[in-house]
Amino acid sequence: MRADISPRAKVGLYGLMCVLLIPFVFPTWWMVTSSIKPISDIFAFPPQLVPQNYDWTTYSKVFELQPFVRQYWNSAYIAAVVTVGTMIISSMAGYAFARIRFPYANAVFMIVLLGLLIPSEVTIVPLFQMFLKAGMVNTHWPLILVPIFGAPSVFATFVMRQFFVTLPAELEEAARVDGLGRFKIFTKIALPLAKPALASVAIFTFLHSWNLFLEPIVFLSSADMFTLPQALTQYTDAYGGPMWNIQLAAATLTALPVLIVFIIAQKQFVEGLAHTGLKG
Amino acid sequence: MAVAQENAHPEGRSSSPFWTIARRDSLAGFLFIAPQLIGIVVFVLIPLGLVFWYSLHEWNVLANTFTYTGAQNYRMLMEDESLLEVLGATAIFSAGLVIFNLSLALLLAVLLNQRLAGIAIFRTLFFSPVVVSLVAWTIVWGFLLQKNGGINGMLLTFGIEGPNWLREETTAMISVIVVQVFKNVGLNMILFLAALQGVPKELYEAARIDGAPAFKQFRRITLPLISPTILLTSIITIVGSLQVFAQIAVLTQGGPGLSTTVLVYYLYQQAFQFHFFGYGSTLSILLFAIVAILTFAQWQMRKRIVFYES
Amino acid sequence: MLYQRTLKTTACALAILGTFALGGTALAQDAVNLRMTIWSANEAHLKLFNEIASGFKKDHPNVSVTYESLPFETYTTALTTQIAGGNAPDMAWIFETSAYDFVKSGALYPLTDTLKAAEGYNLDEVSAGATERWTEDGKLYAYPFSTSPFAVFVNNDLIKAAGAKTPAEMIAAGDWTWDNAIATAAAVAKSGKGGLVVRDFNYQAWQYLTSVWNGWGASPWSADGKTCTMADKPMADALAFIHDAVFTKKAIPGPGETVDFFAGNAAMTITQISRASLLPKEKPFSWDLVPLPKGSAGEYALIGQAGIGVMQSGKNAETAADFVAYMTNPENSAKLSQFFPSARKSLLNADILKKTNPLLTQEQIEKVVISGIATGKVMPGHTGFAQIQQMVRSNLDAVWRPEADVPATLQKICGQIGPLLKR
Repeated sequence: MRADISPRAKVGLYGLMCVLLIPFVFPTWWMVTSSIKPISDIFAFPPQLVPQNYDWTTYSKVFELQPFVRQYWNSAYIAAVVTVGTMIISSMAGYAFARIRFPYANAVFMIVLLGLLIPSEVTIVPLFQMFLKAGMVNTHWPLILVPIFGAPSVFATFVMRQFFVTLPAELEEAARVDGLGRFKIFTKIALPLAKPALASVAIFTFLHSWNLFLEPIVFLSSADMFTLPQALTQYTDAYGGPMWNIQLAAATLTALPVLIVFIIAQKQFVEGLAHTGLKG
Repeated sequence: MAVAQENAHPEGRSSSPFWTIARRDSLAGFLFIAPQLIGIVVFVLIPLGLVFWYSLHEWNVLANTFTYTGAQNYRMLMEDESLLEVLGATAIFSAGLVIFNLSLALLLAVLLNQRLAGIAIFRTLFFSPVVVSLVAWTIVWGFLLQKNGGINGMLLTFGIEGPNWLREETTAMISVIVVQVFKNVGLNMILFLAALQGVPKELYEAARIDGAPAFKQFRRITLPLISPTILLTSIITIVGSLQVFAQIAVLTQGGPGLSTTVLVYYLYQQAFQFHFFGYGSTLSILLFAIVAILTFAQWQMRKRIVFYES
Repeated sequence: MLYQRTLKTTACALAILGTFALGGTALAQDAVNLRMTIWSANEAHLKLFNEIASGFKKDHPNVSVTYESLPFETYTTALTTQIAGGNAPDMAWIFETSAYDFVKSGALYPLTDTLKAAEGYNLDEVSAGATERWTEDGKLYAYPFSTSPFAVFVNNDLIKAAGAKTPAEMIAAGDWTWDNAIATAAAVAKSGKGGLVVRDFNYQAWQYLTSVWNGWGASPWSADGKTCTMADKPMADALAFIHDAVFTKKAIPGPGETVDFFAGNAAMTITQISRASLLPKEKPFSWDLVPLPKGSAGEYALIGQAGIGVMQSGKNAETAADFVAYMTNPENSAKLSQFFPSARKSLLNADILKKTNPLLTQEQIEKVVISGIATGKVMPGHTGFAQIQQMVRSNLDAVWRPEADVPATLQKICGQIGPLLKR
């Protein structure tokens, strides 16, 4: 890192960052403040930075109009299961691709990487038919199985592989001399070292699952089963017109917890990534 | 065999001669990757094969007819006049997104890498859009980009009359790119930040002793050392840019004209809105081919642009 | 198939690993569970629908009905995805614009026999005009449960503040015409508020402009749907009028401008009368509801429709048709009409409508609702509407700019959609 920065340069840097921050922060600020505005003020021009009239009933309506707590739970547990499942699957696969020599390893790796390349819109119809035949439509199985085993986990496997490649070979050789088998080497030696990479995989996976939009719309049909992004689109008046302020209140409620978790854990996250194979 | 046996350390308890280390390792390797591999086969390869199968058919969902038509959908692809425009829009969108995303991410990472008080707060704020729901983020920007929306309201205080962002071909394209970049640039920013922090500080000190100016240090030391990250993020970003859909649907619906109709959105229209699942599947195959070729090309180029690999 | 087994094996393996509970209801063999996809998620609507379902259960104890709310904007898409995946609902709401696609495809179960056989149903009192779009070869394939006239909501406070003439005054003087309506809207727009808003149009859903161009006798295609008439004089005149109102007189908020009438920010809006429920309860303004103004082709009315159809592919299509007959019988139609105006003649009288539309005056009901439903045309529709809609929309973008060449664009549109119309 560079040595001390002159006070004048500091002012310049702070100023630059503050200006750059506007497009990142303003929309969120607008979302949060508009969630307590009466609907007529949402469209006011110029937009009000601070609400002039308050309507706190939007937040109680979020819970009245839909089983929002249940939907919150759906999103949370699906994201948790997907995150843990992806960590297991991708660390095993990533470890094997990085550290174990086995026939056709490169070919298999290429096949797995295909998963990175396929937009979910492409395969949604056949997937829907498969899950329908398996009797899993309007259950959470598709939202759990596909991310853990299918295309979305490939990125995680890639990250884990990049990390395990950097492990010094001596560690494993020493373990072998001690008589440890592959699985033990993996669980006792490699995994504990992989905590930072696992942390970043966890965060990426959680966010991906938490924000999933197309799949829930296709696979789920009853309000009790909905996830949050899908539930957000359901706050409409009798004629399909969106109830903006309630929608924004619900959106605020879905964003804040994740934001808080990130604020608490961001140091570990950033520093964790610095030690993964994604660095230079 | 002889070599393997020579290498065979006392693997412990009960190793029959058949289970050499190489064989054990092969088995272990296959077991380790089995869940992922089976998942890819079931949830990616088989569906992809089915999509190809659909693309050889005319499939009328409502009338419930599914007729084999051979290459007819592919001929339609060649004759589709809109498709050229769509591919052009896709190329502009992806190129614009990647360039803007990566340069902004790098700029932010360099800024956040300075030793300043309160830098963690800035880091959090720059990252925050990543955790906001995509749907909510896009709806909010949809408000802000209206002709009488927040952006033009802000510009008006400086005496500038802003354009009708989502209604002019050029500004509509810029708008969808920018909205997408602000939403997700935080991820690349963090990856770059991690890469920057992994650059050994001694290198800068040596360069400073040699009297190299800051910009030269950046070009000669930083860029080469973080080039693997640049490659990785550019692959992720390009692949991601080809999958952007909800933003277009909410902000412009592909307009004005076809100016922001990117391939995924066109595919979605054909398959899900116009009910041409056969032709939609053909477009899926085209999209897949484009992504695969681009990724392959980037991977091949890595030797020239990446200076070392970890 | 092989993948199915693999899938199930994987699922079983995971089920052993996982300890989380999953939803999914087991059904008794003989019970019939009917599913209806709808685009409303409104609590009051669902409450009424569920009441109707339990009413049906009294006579058919083994039948239960569930309603599945799909998001309004992507409704048809989500519905066809379900059908494509082999998971069609038993019954579905259908938009008037996609009616032809469903009615002509053979996807729907013919309802005429069931409805005629239902006791006290009296299908004949539903006017032929209302069922036209939902009928093919003399058979009704979906029942138009909602027939809602378009009308003009007026904010008299804004108009008086701008010193312009209110629609009520113009109606009394017999000069409630489009020219005068736009003059009033322009006067209000000059005062800083919005003029006249064609709700839901947003310079994308151009079919809502039907509420304007029908006044010129314009139509996007001929009555048989085979020929493009976008470039004909009535349409060219109507669009030139709208273009002038938007860009020269500024009487209609331009593209990219959001103005909400119901928040008190516009002088007038054209929308369906059912939107009266959006009128503000706090900070109310003095409002009025009037028929659409006279165009160069005279007086006219427009109605929006929605139908309920039974899916042919369902195992319980007959039971589902029975349920539709029950849901839309005179008694339940009366209940439904508080949200969805009925096309039944017996329900089209001012006394009944007054009860279900408490916000409207007797006069408004007679002039707007009753005569609207009786004389109104339906918005244009066509087989393959979504594709035609999109093609016209992307070309019309060229009209929505100040220096547009309207006739040339319309020619271009006809050139493009002509082949689709003939199909």
